[in-house]
Amino acid sequence: MNADAAVLFAPLAVRPAAFRRTPKRPMDEGRFEAFYRNTAGSLWSYVYRMTGNSATADDLLQKTFYRFLRAQPEIASDDHLRHYLFKTATNLVFDHFREAKRGRELVEPPPEFRPDRNELRQDMTRAFAELKPRERALLWLAHVEGCSHDEIADALGLKSKSVRVLLFRARKRLGDVLTRRGLAPEAPHD
Amino acid sequence: MTDPLETRIDAWMQEFARFDERPRALPDPSMLWVRAKLMQSVVIADRAARPVTNAQIGSYLVVAAAWAALLMWKWQALVTWVRGFTPAHIVLGATGVESAASLSLTFLGLLIVLGSLTVLLAFHTILAEE
Repeated sequence: MNADAAVLFAPLAVRPAAFRRTPKRPMDEGRFEAFYRNTAGSLWSYVYRMTGNSATADDLLQKTFYRFLRAQPEIASDDHLRHYLFKTATNLVFDHFREAKRGRELVEPPPEFRPDRNELRQDMTRAFAELKPRERALLWLAHVEGCSHDEIADALGLKSKSVRVLLFRARKRLGDVLTRRGLAPEAPHD
Repeated sequence: MTDPLETRIDAWMQEFARFDERPRALPDPSMLWVRAKLMQSVVIADRAARPVTNAQIGSYLVVAAAWAALLMWKWQALVTWVRGFTPAHIVLGATGVESAASLSLTFLGLLIVLGSLTVLLAFHTILAEE
């Protein structure tokens, strides 16, 4: 068997309850395309912000969708599918970190900086990259994807009650990093 | 969202998320769909071929064990027979001074059967690979 196929089609540890619900409508190509166009961009951004490398983000994005299709999700709702997709991506990102650690590569590769990008963007990226992977995931899922604590807990394999505390710590740590770097955001005025 | 830190971090994260860092277009969904289906078919084919592969491995082991048993059974006779191919032994054998090694018809029959099985197995392996 092809090595890629063996990795990608490894049995999934958890099959969310959303996929066992009725009505059972297997995803066809058209539905997948629509779903992909709605989610792929934000998923890529999430994976990129987690790994700091666009090639890795490309690779993990594809692996996420392959696993998603392998699971043959039945459509409960787009929200459920989206949540499942982010959970799969999170697992793959953390697997990637573990593999990188075993291969003695950089666990957190430095974010790519392009000379034509503005300085603020680079500073923000560097500041975010200073956080631990789990902190990055927590903040991104909570503030960008708007996931609930339960959804974040499910995606990261945490207890729902812990998310609140961990999220608070992650915010505080990001706040400290931003203050140190002189990037602390102003409180929005009403 | 009443916590000032949460509010500030939220604003910062929203601004941060607005930057589009994607250097190239995302892969085409139809390409992903086709590749996923191909990979699934590879997995299905592999699963279907597994019993055949196992049977093949089993037959290699059986044939190898049969060859080993056959050679051990008639080892002395075979050694004598092989040594008999020197010119001196051929002459002595022709004059009847040295008796020929005993290689029974059963042994020769088994030799032919095992040889045929080995050749068949080799052909099967080659064809299966192709």
